Amino acid sequence: MAGTLALTKAELRRLMHNKRYFIFTVGFPVILYLLIGRQVSAQAYGIAFGAYYMIAMATFGAFSGALNGNAQRISQEKKDGWIRQLRLTPLPANAYVVTKILVSLATTIPAIVIVLLLGRFYGNVHLPAWQWPVIAVTIWFGSTIFAALAVAVGYRFPPDQVQPITLIVYFFFAILGGLWFPLSGFLAKIGKFTPTYEAVKIGSDVIAGAAVPAGLAIGLVVWLGIFVALATVAVRSTAESV
Amino acid sequence: MSQYETGHGAVTATADDSGHRGSRHSGSVVSFENVSKVYGRLRAVDGLTLDLRAGETVALLGPNGAGKSTSLDMLLALRKPTSGRIRMFGDDPYHAVKSGRVGAMLQSGGLMPEVTVRELVELVTKLHPNPEPVATTLKRAGIAQFADQRVDRLSGGQTQRVRFALAICGKSELIVLDEPTAAMDVETRRLFWNSMKEEVAAGRTLLFATHYLEEADQAADRILVINRGRLLADGTPAEIKARAGARRLSFRLGHVDEPFLLGLPGLVNLEVRHDVVQIQSSDSDATLYAVLDAGYRPSEIEVTSLGLEQAFLAITAEDDQTNGTTYVGETN
Repeated sequence: MAGTLALTKAELRRLMHNKRYFIFTVGFPVILYLLIGRQVSAQAYGIAFGAYYMIAMATFGAFSGALNGNAQRISQEKKDGWIRQLRLTPLPANAYVVTKILVSLATTIPAIVIVLLLGRFYGNVHLPAWQWPVIAVTIWFGSTIFAALAVAVGYRFPPDQVQPITLIVYFFFAILGGLWFPLSGFLAKIGKFTPTYEAVKIGSDVIAGAAVPAGLAIGLVVWLGIFVALATVAVRSTAESV
Repeated sequence: MSQYETGHGAVTATADDSGHRGSRHSGSVVSFENVSKVYGRLRAVDGLTLDLRAGETVALLGPNGAGKSTSLDMLLALRKPTSGRIRMFGDDPYHAVKSGRVGAMLQSGGLMPEVTVRELVELVTKLHPNPEPVATTLKRAGIAQFADQRVDRLSGGQTQRVRFALAICGKSELIVLDEPTAAMDVETRRLFWNSMKEEVAAGRTLLFATHYLEEADQAADRILVINRGRLLADGTPAEIKARAGARRLSFRLGHVDEPFLLGLPGLVNLEVRHDVVQIQSSDSDATLYAVLDAGYRPSEIEVTSLGLEQAFLAITAEDDQTNGTTYVGETN
């Protein structure tokens, strides 16, 4: 455990040197919210548009941050032999992946906090105090789904292929999950099975005061299960080439 | 990427590279029991059996593709043997590595980018249960002067020294190095082996793979010659030279009697072209005397010494030719 923490600390220190990463996780959602978020009197999913878009952008930042940076790094570190080097140390075999998930959790915090603050003070979203942490924590834990997918993609594909793959996944789940605009019609029919939609809908149902359907939470857990399974297979099957 | 020694034959044995080490401890540090690794139709490692004792410095010597790296990978739990059993400190490789009793440096091992050399060494030091102080590691590996530089901005030789630092920072009992000096210039290589001698003097066991004959000859007190995944010879540098026939004897002879020549003492290899006879012998004096005692009077007698390089080439060439069948006149 001490080793895992030492590695996590070193990873976080590394991340501080890396500015590009913050453009994806914080920059994009903030800019989109500033451009689109403040639509007085408009509604989406039964709540004010500003509130919906706040949840959507926090989810967008957290999920894309968990996916993009991580997948690229893991793939590069596999290629460079850093994962191999770590396997020669007393660090337990699973510690590298655990560290990546922990670091991902830590790095999604700025996007979530900043977008929620933006919603409160720029988008005039007023909520009962208890709803803020519920929304933040849902998105935060939801981001581990994409951290797991990042592990699967990073282990499976070389760095030059990771970029297009994560970009496709990122657009797919952003659009189909209703992160950029609320879903309706045909898109809503298929989109409601995406984890991005489920995370946003849990938040908007909480704000609407409706009972959150158990199906949404179960959906998130199922997605997490699928991506953890994919990640496990990717890690195991590449064990001899790492 | 690949580098070869050009100054072959210039092997300078020093007084301290044999004799006083070896049997200080007697416990088995590493053992391979009939270990094989098969990739499809390729047998990368083929029934390897060997045993390393504590305090030894052992060179795993073989040409590229001989199975050196695969063997070390299996020892370090990076790959699983197809068959056979590997033990390290009486434990399976994975648990031995996780106990911190082995430090390793592989060709393919990478470094974490975006941090300084010092931060990286501090990190890996923290992962070990009973490590060396960071300052000591930096000094021993000769990297203290660039400890505050970023890892991804180092030269090839500097990077190799940082890798070495990571192998020794845990104060491990066994150090495993795969082609450690491959990216080093001559001066760095000398410094490297000097610091390696300190590690060995401190009681560590050292196993290194190399295709530099000179390094094996100078640094190791035991050499394992490996080719096409199999162990061909195991002994001190002197024994390896004798094993291959340490000297070459050549002369002209009017009437050549091959059966007689094949029966000569010390003979390892015989080549006859017209009236020119070439004999590789582990005891050239005895071979020559036997020729003279039989009444022959050869002309143009030449006796040349074979270095470890020729010995190694002879052993592997012999293996490649016979493809594993027993060779006549083998001395062992």
